[in-house]
Amino acid sequence: MERRDFLKITISGCALGLLSGYPGFPGYSRSPLAPASLSREEARYYQKLPDREIRCDLCPRFCQLGDRERGFCGVRENQGGKYYTLVYGQVASLNVDPIEKKPFFHFLPGSEAFSLATAGCNLNCKFCQNWEISQMRPEQVKNIYLPPESVVATCERYNCPVIAYTYTEPVIFFEYMYDCSLLARKKGIRNVVVTAGYINPQPLSDLCRVVDAIKVDLKAFNQNFYHEYVRGQLQPVLEAIKQIARSKIWLEIVYLVIPTLNDRSEEIKEMCRYLKNEIGPDYPIHFSRFHPMYLLKNLPPTPVSTLEKLREIALNEGLRYVYIGNVPGHPGENTYCPGCGRVIIERYGYAIRKKEMNGNKCRFCGREIAGVWS
Amino acid sequence: MKKSRVVIINCRRILPDPVRPDPEIILAMLKKGLSLLAGVSSAGEALSHWFRHGEAIGIKINTIAGKALSTAPEVSRTLGLWLGSTVTSVEKIIIWDRSDEELRQAGYRISTSGGSLKIFGTDNRRAGYQNQPVSLRHIGSLFSRIQAELIEASISLAILKDHGLAGITAGLKNYFGAIHNPNKYHDSGCDPYVAELFETEAIRNKHRLTILDAIRVQYHRGPSYHPRWLAVCQKLIFSSDPVAADTVGWQLIEELRARKGLPSLKEENREPLYLRTAEKLGLGKSSMQDIEVIEEEI
Repeated sequence: MERRDFLKITISGCALGLLSGYPGFPGYSRSPLAPASLSREEARYYQKLPDREIRCDLCPRFCQLGDRERGFCGVRENQGGKYYTLVYGQVASLNVDPIEKKPFFHFLPGSEAFSLATAGCNLNCKFCQNWEISQMRPEQVKNIYLPPESVVATCERYNCPVIAYTYTEPVIFFEYMYDCSLLARKKGIRNVVVTAGYINPQPLSDLCRVVDAIKVDLKAFNQNFYHEYVRGQLQPVLEAIKQIARSKIWLEIVYLVIPTLNDRSEEIKEMCRYLKNEIGPDYPIHFSRFHPMYLLKNLPPTPVSTLEKLREIALNEGLRYVYIGNVPGHPGENTYCPGCGRVIIERYGYAIRKKEMNGNKCRFCGREIAGVWS
Repeated sequence: MKKSRVVIINCRRILPDPVRPDPEIILAMLKKGLSLLAGVSSAGEALSHWFRHGEAIGIKINTIAGKALSTAPEVSRTLGLWLGSTVTSVEKIIIWDRSDEELRQAGYRISTSGGSLKIFGTDNRRAGYQNQPVSLRHIGSLFSRIQAELIEASISLAILKDHGLAGITAGLKNYFGAIHNPNKYHDSGCDPYVAELFETEAIRNKHRLTILDAIRVQYHRGPSYHPRWLAVCQKLIFSSDPVAADTVGWQLIEELRARKGLPSLKEENREPLYLRTAEKLGLGKSSMQDIEVIEEEI
């Protein structure tokens, strides 16, 4: 039994039995619903308005809510004119994953990431892979209460160097993620965030001060797609990407390629040019394979040839680290040195087979490779 | 083109406690309203217009705003008991909303045992949500098993309220409580979502009647409870056309707003446009000129 499998079974004793909110756990059940024992921690980033209304300033939706109403995310609620997060410490999914699964390819490769999520999301992607927790309200999934101290202590007990806030949308459990990160950092544990980047500048700026890396899912490079399939806007995501790059914490970008919807070569070319101009050529981009899911079951999986073509376009546009995702064993999973062109990290799926680096440099030509390696 | 009929029954007598109206008066209002709607003289006969004998009937109420501003138990229970003594049996009636807790907070006692009205939320062990989402146009949701599986016919018994985003919340929007993710459908004034949700099989094929509880109406700053903008109207509004019922409810809210010198919903840029969308989808009439309003008193 691998350590991460063992952890799934034993972590936190009885708590683990409740972690079946994540589809990966056997015995997953949505109904009957979990008892309503939600947290009631005052939310950050909101304004009080007249007549017990509030405006949430956490994400670009700026939900304006009357008493007893919840935001689009389904996890933040106005109670009598005060705004609360209902998911502080309410973990719906908990695993130890290879960091490559997030994916982060240039951030402590081969590390194990103590990965957690609460229910909820501030988007509504029709192709969500984790919709059974992300598109739910916290009372509709099974949760365990894991305060920040317990997260960090458990992470330490299992010698995980990284905590990953992932699976759903960490922006919506901002307060919990922030407090966990702050505490983890004091213990020398790194924090990484897997997000769609739908967040306002101030909370993002505060977040960047306590985390070490952010992976942004850029869903497409056109507003129509964001409107129709994501129920959000593109521009705030692009602004977030630029802000993260400016903040100097590590950034990787994932682009899930969905046949016929966001796979036009011209669009990808335009996106790569934009990224190179705005954030430079060194942040990795992963073109991931789509599999039919949730409300988009009528489309086939992405042809590998499409991913290869888009990877080629990105490389031709001057991006230095371009990967193919969700195709185990494909050469596009490997890291190639932009100096000598040789494979410096060979991967198979989430596993690292070979690493040919000295510190942050290519072992063959000595070229510095962008990333966080130690 | 045949007009859609909407019946408004006013209670002439001052209700001593409009939060907990007298069930006898409510029963008289229900009987009169539904008889007029069906165009028959006997109330019992009226029910056979919409319900088959022995059907399992769901009464979807709205309890989101707590005790102060929810469908009154006196209204829903009276309707349920009457249905249960005429077209079906009481144990085949389910009065329901999203959760047991919200029902309790609105003054309901949870009841799942045989021989009496069933009152419970989707989160009750007997219910839950379906496992696979229903996808139609812009809607992608898990349905409450109560609406999708446990009942054969449905009544939307909503409290009539102003709504900060949707303009109004009434019979159509009440069905937001039948899905797991209503929070995803509040942008653009809930349009087209309210209409598209109603179009789904689980709702459209089962919905028989809209009854709007307008005993007390929140005409401004809804859907939350604000006593300052709450009017005691002592009305029930009936229609088998869900769009027409809400359209008439909307007019009532506009009248109350005008009387208090408040701008119209259109002036506040929150006209309930989903009603027009619903008409385009063939769900009912959203123009007052296509609606026949019959208003009577008891």
